[in-house]
Amino acid sequence: SEAKSGRTDLIFLIRFRHCCLLRNQRCVLAYLYDRLLRIRALRWEYGSVLPNTIQFHMSAEEVEWFNQYKKSLATYMRSVGGEEGLDLTQDIKPPKSLYIEVRCLRDYGEFEIDDGTTVLLKKNSQHFLPRWKCEQLIRQGVLEHILS
Amino acid sequence: LLLLQRVLLLVASDVDALCACKILQALFQCDHVQYTLVPVSGWQELETAFLEHKDQFKYFVLINCGANVDLLEILQPEEDAFFFVGDSHRPINVVNVYNDTQIKLLVKQDDDLDVPAYDDIFRDEEDEEEDSECDSDGSEPSEKRRRFEEAVIERTMKRRQRREWEARRREIIFDYEQYEYHGTSSAMVMFDLAWIMSKDLNDMLWWAIVGLTDQWVQDKITQMKYVTDIGILQRHVSRHNHRNEDEENSLSIDCMRIAFEYDLRLALYQHWSLYESLCNTSYTSASLKLWSVQGQKRLREFLADMGLPLKQVKQKFNSMDMSLKENLREMIEESANKFGMKDLRVQTFSIHFGFKNKFSASDIVYATASLMENIEKEGPETTNFIKALDSLSRGNLDKLHQGLDLAKKQLRAIQQTVASCICTNLVISQGPFLYCSLMEGTPDVKLFSKPVSLCLLSKYLLKSFVCSTKNKRCKLLPLIMAAPMDVEQGTVIMVGIPPETESSDKKNFFGRAFEKAAGSTNSRTLHNHFDMSIIELKTEDRSKFLDALISLLS
Repeated sequence: SEAKSGRTDLIFLIRFRHCCLLRNQRCVLAYLYDRLLRIRALRWEYGSVLPNTIQFHMSAEEVEWFNQYKKSLATYMRSVGGEEGLDLTQDIKPPKSLYIEVRCLRDYGEFEIDDGTTVLLKKNSQHFLPRWKCEQLIRQGVLEHILS
Repeated sequence: LLLLQRVLLLVASDVDALCACKILQALFQCDHVQYTLVPVSGWQELETAFLEHKDQFKYFVLINCGANVDLLEILQPEEDAFFFVGDSHRPINVVNVYNDTQIKLLVKQDDDLDVPAYDDIFRDEEDEEEDSECDSDGSEPSEKRRRFEEAVIERTMKRRQRREWEARRREIIFDYEQYEYHGTSSAMVMFDLAWIMSKDLNDMLWWAIVGLTDQWVQDKITQMKYVTDIGILQRHVSRHNHRNEDEENSLSIDCMRIAFEYDLRLALYQHWSLYESLCNTSYTSASLKLWSVQGQKRLREFLADMGLPLKQVKQKFNSMDMSLKENLREMIEESANKFGMKDLRVQTFSIHFGFKNKFSASDIVYATASLMENIEKEGPETTNFIKALDSLSRGNLDKLHQGLDLAKKQLRAIQQTVASCICTNLVISQGPFLYCSLMEGTPDVKLFSKPVSLCLLSKYLLKSFVCSTKNKRCKLLPLIMAAPMDVEQGTVIMVGIPPETESSDKKNFFGRAFEKAAGSTNSRTLHNHFDMSIIELKTEDRSKFLDALISLLS
């Protein structure tokens, strides 16, 4: 306090700097929190495996956070739907029909569906497939749902 | 059977195929049959698409492609691949007709196919083994020698018989495959299928109508067949649309309804001005000879005869005075008869939905065809196909209107090109056929690098030429038309069309003629189109190719 009292004229400067530091800290925290929210949204958009381009831009702690989030979401989904669990990331909008017509917007190559069959996705080819098999790709923008 | 299997749809690039595809898609969606749709515009694309997809599918449906060639040989499929072919191209290749296991043709029962009998073309290979048994038993040498001589005589007799049989076979096949023509529209066949399954809807009926009208607009079927098919469709139309007659129970104005019309044959007239339509429809333009000054005068006389003021007629059709529009059809027909145009009205159908939307079947055909051959390229060729396919659904009116605008441009370009060809005498007689070639710098020549546009241009040109020439012999000749296709690669697209006569059976021999001429001159040609009378060739080979054709056909 003696050192402080000898320099009372600097108090205002120190306080000012302190306020700036606090403000910067708030901004950084807000930014990091926003990143976390976006990473959380990525889980719903892309599924449990993120494309490499996105993972490249995430820090190690963020990747760790993502894995934890994945785990807790999975535990929750397993507990909700009875024996098998309920996949909440499917059917985000209420589905109107069992099969939908989709059009391929860009060359994607071969796409393997869970029962083993492959579909060759070339630009402008149209397909009539069960809804749940296409949802992922529609969200990624490779397929487009055609309403006739 | 098909519930768990996926199907590959290979669809050709013409309006009839698009309509058939729409009907089939609707049927598949009804029954939850998974399918993949791939547009193909020629034999090469067909083969590529087949190779890419053959591991994933067992069932293939080909629409408006594949009937006129030996499918199994071209595609070399696996044993368990199954093909359904719904194609209006005739003659159907004999192998496709007689194949029991892998190929199923979707054809209407009363469609006259004229296929040669099985025994005339196919011969089972049982006779070859009998000859070798004769000399195996041991016996006296003289007897053996006699038997040996008998066997030799028998063998030569058999060989001669076989040669005669083969010569007759070649002749039969040549006669059968010489002329190309078209059978019932694929869209109508698909609609029939839907009707048999009791799944037909008004929408599908409209697509069947558009498919048939496409065949008429492109002059692919005879007048008689068109009228017969219109009769068939008319029964379906009254079955689906009879509620409109009943005042009390009639449907809301927004529902889609189809009506039979005995309408004017003027292209797009309700979306254009009457004047423009009269100038740009081949029938009126050719009959009135509108490329000459006298023709223009005759047009004005025609309009004056009907009492239609020029100012009215040059306005948009919808803005014309109601009093003039009231008896327009009868008035025009009466005056047209005086000017030598006896067939200005034609039986067709129109569709209404909502207050603003009324389209005639031929409007849709022109719009869809110009969307499909749009030269303003936005991406790969298939984008145009998809756009045209979309425009056939009622929800995509913006695409339809874009198509109508493109169609107007196309028709204007065709008429201007026809006028300049006739005025500059570009149509020359080469002996057995007429020939016209478009130069590179001609305006709108890029539009005619596409097959359907070029065919339309050729037909209109031939009609106009027949009306303009005094040479009686030239009136009966067929026409070959050439236009630059790709300037960088130096290729030309060439189409051959049958002669323009009143009772033409629309049979085209140019397919085979082109093949033979190409073979004999070693020209670098590409017979890629499903219509064999449309080919591409290198510009340098053009003259020797034509010389070969002249000598072939003289």
